[in-house]
Amino acid sequence: MTTETVQSETVRSETARPAHFVVGDWQSAAFAAVPADRSRAEAGIAAAYAAAGLPAPERVLWVPSPLRGAVAAAVLAGHEKALRAAGTMDDRVDEALADLGEHADSARAGASVRDDVRTRPWETERAAAASGLGARGWPRAWADSGGLLWDQVQSLVTRVRNAVGAVAAPDPDAAIGAQDQAAALLRAATLDAVMGQHDAPWLALFESLGRLDGPLSGLAEVARNASWWWPYERLAICCERPTELYRDEPGRLHRGDGPALAYPDGFALHAWRGMPIPPDFVASLTDLTADRILHEDNAELRRVMLEIFGYDRYLADTGAKPVHQDETGVLWSIDLPDDEPVVMVEVVNSTPEPDGTYRTYYLRVPPATRTAREGVAWTFGVAEADYHPEKQT
Amino acid sequence: MYRQGDILILPVAEADVPPSARALPPAPRDGRGRMVLALGEATGHAHALAAPGTLLRTSDPRTPDHLHLPSGGRLVHEEHAAISLPKGWYRVIRQREYVPGSVRVVAD
Repeated sequence: MTTETVQSETVRSETARPAHFVVGDWQSAAFAAVPADRSRAEAGIAAAYAAAGLPAPERVLWVPSPLRGAVAAAVLAGHEKALRAAGTMDDRVDEALADLGEHADSARAGASVRDDVRTRPWETERAAAASGLGARGWPRAWADSGGLLWDQVQSLVTRVRNAVGAVAAPDPDAAIGAQDQAAALLRAATLDAVMGQHDAPWLALFESLGRLDGPLSGLAEVARNASWWWPYERLAICCERPTELYRDEPGRLHRGDGPALAYPDGFALHAWRGMPIPPDFVASLTDLTADRILHEDNAELRRVMLEIFGYDRYLADTGAKPVHQDETGVLWSIDLPDDEPVVMVEVVNSTPEPDGTYRTYYLRVPPATRTAREGVAWTFGVAEADYHPEKQT
Repeated sequence: MYRQGDILILPVAEADVPPSARALPPAPRDGRGRMVLALGEATGHAHALAAPGTLLRTSDPRTPDHLHLPSGGRLVHEEHAAISLPKGWYRVIRQREYVPGSVRVVAD
């Protein structure tokens, strides 16, 4: 039985679009860095409450970042004292109290209704879709939709969560008990959110199965127009989307001349190919030397330094010797203290440049690579013995 | 098996093209009517074919594309010599690079 026939028996709607288009749209939503459409998001919130049989919240509090939302949610959960005990959060707590105003009283805001608004209808749709598709069709439907987005969205969410916690415990090496506890409370508050734009993988799955027209339509509308949100009986806290978001081709946060992710209040993450870096790190590398790279203790920062410095320069400056050489290229290895070695194939373009020279480039390959051919074959995902191009240019 | 810079083109039997690839809509052609197998991130240069045929591509850059050339075609790139491809089906593989903890796709 093909995927198409399996799906046609279980989709709710005749209007379901091909998964390919659905995934593209939800990918755009997940990584949208434009202001929230507040009125559409608020209509979506009201629709989600209505689908759960609840009256719309009397107030929607807009916050400029997940950090500000998480602090407000932690205060509403009764953690004001624990946050203040960290010694790093007083201004943030005061800000949250001002944001919440009369709703700072949890009796006034009401209990969290996340289970009613999101978890229960979500689980109902998920269970119906899974049983309709069966043990083979379900993972396949996921692989063709949400599965394509999961890793990139989830790694972003994890980074944001950790950065929210790091505001309470800014120096992990020096963190004292109260700061660790405050960081844990803030991270826990992010787990209480509905993920809005970052629910995109699941929403892509539901839409590809024609299941977004029913009880999940309000949730989908918020996700298309805003970021994380926290639903309470009489209050919803809703977060703006990022103002800046830069990623490399595999989808990791990546930028050399500013924050890779930034929200309107300045809450931001700096990253190089997904690796967290301090805000001023790239700018500090102008006088980089091979010696300084070797003596950098942080393995991740050292990798960033190596990339920016250039492998070829590093090999020349340290007098490295090739490990192996064959007709496909040259294999190099750089040993680094407390880290796996950097193993690279040096490959020469088959087509000459206009001046008659051949351009050389370096590609990092797995550390266990033994020959240049094995390394080049790996870069294309084929076995060493199978790599024999009859023509290359 | 053919290689042009950072892409490898593997002939495949028609029967070996997975149904999930066949179900994809054809990737749109560029402004010059070409199928663009890969676009260089830094240079904007493209591995491209003007021939009749179909390019089937998922949204995941790490999943190989499939290319159908019913009457063959000529693969061109601004920085590499052209390669003539016989008619048939191909798997198009982007070169990748090892990064500790993950893998990234190369774009030249």
